Amino acid sequence: MRCKMKLRSSIIIAACAATLAAAPAWAQFKPTKPVEFIVHTGPGGGADVLARFIAQTFEKENLAPVRFTVNNKSGGGGLTAMAYVAEKKGDTHAIAVFTGNWLTNPLTRAEAKFTVKDMTPVARLVLEPALIAVKGDAPFKTLKDFIEAAKKAPGTMKQSGGSITSRDNVVRQLLMKDTGANWAYISFPGGGERIAALLGGHVNMMVVEPQEAGEHIKAGNMRVIATVADKRLGGFPNVPTIKEAGYDIPNVEQVRGIVMPAGVAPDVVAYYEDLFLRLSKTATWRKYLEEQQFEDGYMKSAELAKYFDVFTDQMRVILKEAGAKVVR
Amino acid sequence: MAQSKWIKGDVISGAVLAALGAYIVSEAWRWDYSTAEGPGPGFFPIWYGIAMVVLSIVLVVRSGLSAAPAEKTVDWPGIGRALTVWAAFAVCVALMKPLGLLIALALLTLFVVAVMYGQSLKVALAVAVGNAAGFYLVFGLALQLNLPAGPLGF
Amino acid sequence: MEVLTSLGHGFAVALEPLNLFWCFVGVFLGTAVGVMPGLGPAATIAMLLPLTFNMPPTTAVIMLAGIYYGAKYGGSTTAILLNVPGESASVVTCLDGYQMARNGRAGAALGIAAISSFIAGTVGVLGLMLLAPPLAKFGLSFSSPEYFALMVMGLAMVVLLAGKSMIKALLAMLLGLWIASMGIDLFSDASRFTFGQSELLDGVDFVIVAIGVFALGEVFGNMEKRGEGTMLPVPKGLRNLLPTMAELKACRFAFLNGSIIGFIIGVLPGAGSTIASFISYGVEKAVSKHPEKFGTGVPEGVAAPEGANNSETGGAMVPLLTLGIPGSGTTAILLAAFILWGLRPGPLMIQENPDLFWGLVASMYVGNVMLLVLNLPLIPLFAQILKLREYILYPIIFGISIVGVYAVSGSLFDCWMLVVFGLLGYAIRRLDYPSAPLILGLVLGDSMERALRQSLMMSQGDLAILVSRPISATMLILAIVLLCLPLFRRANQWRVKALEENG
Repeated sequence: MRCKMKLRSSIIIAACAATLAAAPAWAQFKPTKPVEFIVHTGPGGGADVLARFIAQTFEKENLAPVRFTVNNKSGGGGLTAMAYVAEKKGDTHAIAVFTGNWLTNPLTRAEAKFTVKDMTPVARLVLEPALIAVKGDAPFKTLKDFIEAAKKAPGTMKQSGGSITSRDNVVRQLLMKDTGANWAYISFPGGGERIAALLGGHVNMMVVEPQEAGEHIKAGNMRVIATVADKRLGGFPNVPTIKEAGYDIPNVEQVRGIVMPAGVAPDVVAYYEDLFLRLSKTATWRKYLEEQQFEDGYMKSAELAKYFDVFTDQMRVILKEAGAKVVR
Repeated sequence: MAQSKWIKGDVISGAVLAALGAYIVSEAWRWDYSTAEGPGPGFFPIWYGIAMVVLSIVLVVRSGLSAAPAEKTVDWPGIGRALTVWAAFAVCVALMKPLGLLIALALLTLFVVAVMYGQSLKVALAVAVGNAAGFYLVFGLALQLNLPAGPLGF
Repeated sequence: MEVLTSLGHGFAVALEPLNLFWCFVGVFLGTAVGVMPGLGPAATIAMLLPLTFNMPPTTAVIMLAGIYYGAKYGGSTTAILLNVPGESASVVTCLDGYQMARNGRAGAALGIAAISSFIAGTVGVLGLMLLAPPLAKFGLSFSSPEYFALMVMGLAMVVLLAGKSMIKALLAMLLGLWIASMGIDLFSDASRFTFGQSELLDGVDFVIVAIGVFALGEVFGNMEKRGEGTMLPVPKGLRNLLPTMAELKACRFAFLNGSIIGFIIGVLPGAGSTIASFISYGVEKAVSKHPEKFGTGVPEGVAAPEGANNSETGGAMVPLLTLGIPGSGTTAILLAAFILWGLRPGPLMIQENPDLFWGLVASMYVGNVMLLVLNLPLIPLFAQILKLREYILYPIIFGISIVGVYAVSGSLFDCWMLVVFGLLGYAIRRLDYPSAPLILGLVLGDSMERALRQSLMMSQGDLAILVSRPISATMLILAIVLLCLPLFRRANQWRVKALEENG
């Protein structure tokens, strides 16, 4: 008995000592030179705008002791930025904005040499909902109207969107599978062209981001018949989500967050985690989320790592069904 | 010692393009010509690949059979000079990472001025340094662009 | 008349000292950077965006628009003097502009470029001002079948740009089509011709090909003959530095042609200034009395594409400001800038932000004037560049090519692509293949394939969609007419000859 108690107390003492030793480590890391903020789009792209806004807010709200400079590493469909981050192993002064693409692209591209597993997740920041929209004078008032019309004339209704691996098509695939309806999907390379196709009457429906379509909706040129979100959007209180409209499909989120190179110490990750937590609590950030109609999806590093796995597995299944060639 | 009628620039380039066309068609064959949604990724390449093959064969045959003699004298030394400079340019790009852009550019300049234009070493050095310095001032400092740096820090 | 009062109000805004100053800064910086190949207006705006954070939005917009314009002006300078296209649309200017320089008319070419850009820019602003909302609607009626017809019209230009050997021109075009299709296929997400390189997933950047084929190919070609002389004949005397009245007169139609075609194509989201320049050049050649002279240095060959290039800027603002739809990479960045300042271009913008809209329109006009005033006197200065000896100039061109490419992408791979395309450029020159069709195929290939596939998806495989719609049918017929023009001309020549022989 005495041996056991001695063992237990030693363990307790050891644990206390370890905690005491670790505690100062939490306050240890602070960036000492400008931090590189890597984005996979060129200037003006979604991730770029977000990163610049974040850097701006850091300065405005005095959240960080150093500057964050945006480094555009566009190209390779996002793979260039991913490779760049993965190759910066151990660099404590580099972070990157990741989007859902970072998780999906390696699944279909054999050329990808790295995946998010070669990086350290830091924090998830936002979830972007989307709107299902039709032209302002279209006869569809609800999602049901559209799907019924599609069922009556299979293949004649048209949707504009990005590539077949984009969220637009994923939503379409899920809806088509769930309802048995069938409608065509036409890819356009830019958001502007997709909207133009809808406004010009060349396609019947599209999945669009709120900030892209905001002005058109206000002007009455576009009508929103459902939202791709977990719960009703503040900007569209009278529009049901897809689930509320009666179609039980998983919500397809467009996610954005922060990762950094692998091989960095836990206190470094903790620093950035905390930095972004403080960011997410500022009024500037809250206002930004409201304006962009983003959902606050803050998640810490460990949870984020699990989320990556879940998301990737889900997308793998969906992509296969959509007809894309999945290579890993 | 008449050169074969078939060794002509057009014939050779035509043959190369025919081979390229064949490669394009062979690759495009593996992709979907047409999918449920519409024409697939293989659609366009197959057509222009075939066009390339057909047209280049026509070119080869036409120029091979034409009575016009092969170029009177091919300026081989000239071609050699041009290709040498091209090779030097390639070397410059290869040296960008280890030595930094400015030094690589300076070396290229040195080569061009001294070797290709036969100027004295003094002139060559002056131009090389001036060129590199100019680029540093305009791009490195004034525009604050990130030029690849070598071991010397610039 | 409401337009006039609004415009007056806009001028009041544009002529405020702060706005005037930053307009000038934008125009100046844009020109300076536009001269650098690779660093197009998009990259410049992105680089200077942080500067604008502390400015009132109207001023910032004015400055950025100035950069956009200035970059277009700057791009033509190196195209004419060095055969280095400063940005993609300047490629067409290289064709006749550089030849004019070789003929000793560098100053005239620069002058014509500046004047044409001014006239077209003014027309563009006028169009934007008076026709924005109805034009936006017109732009919306354009969809994939119409774009396809537009691209076909563009490719029909090959026939006009062919020169001696039609087969070689077609082969060059097919080569361009192949290079254009490298990368990820938008529709199926399949990667085509990427040779396993992830850097090729986005395809080859057009500017790299253009610099390699034009600038580097030219330099390597010139290396064959070793010489010590200066590169191009330097025009002597002020009279030779500016276009003559005869040259200006010859360009009358070109000014008009460039302005209108550029503006209309600018309105179409996704069309782009390169296509506008090519089509304008092709049309000019088609209606010219001496088409065979194009490519040897005719002033109209510079006036048309340069004009199209600039009025396209005004046209691209139409969908941006009235619909919030960016028509090109540069307008996409402008849109992002707008959003960063909390502005939202869209159908309600003119009503909600009249200050901004009219101030911008007025300042575009002011910017145009500034550019003309800036550039004309600088022509003698630029022409002095030609005085540099070959062995000083060529290394500079090498440097500009590498830095221009590297500054944009930061990728060593892109520099290697320069090496590859430099060799291609030399080979093309040596083997007597025309380079314009290659560039044409490269520019149009992707868009044309996309438009065709989109159209067939819309019609579910029915080709009739391409001819059943009025606009696309019209353009296809135009394309056929353009293709047949050389035949008409030849038939006419025979007829005239026959008449002469008989009488």
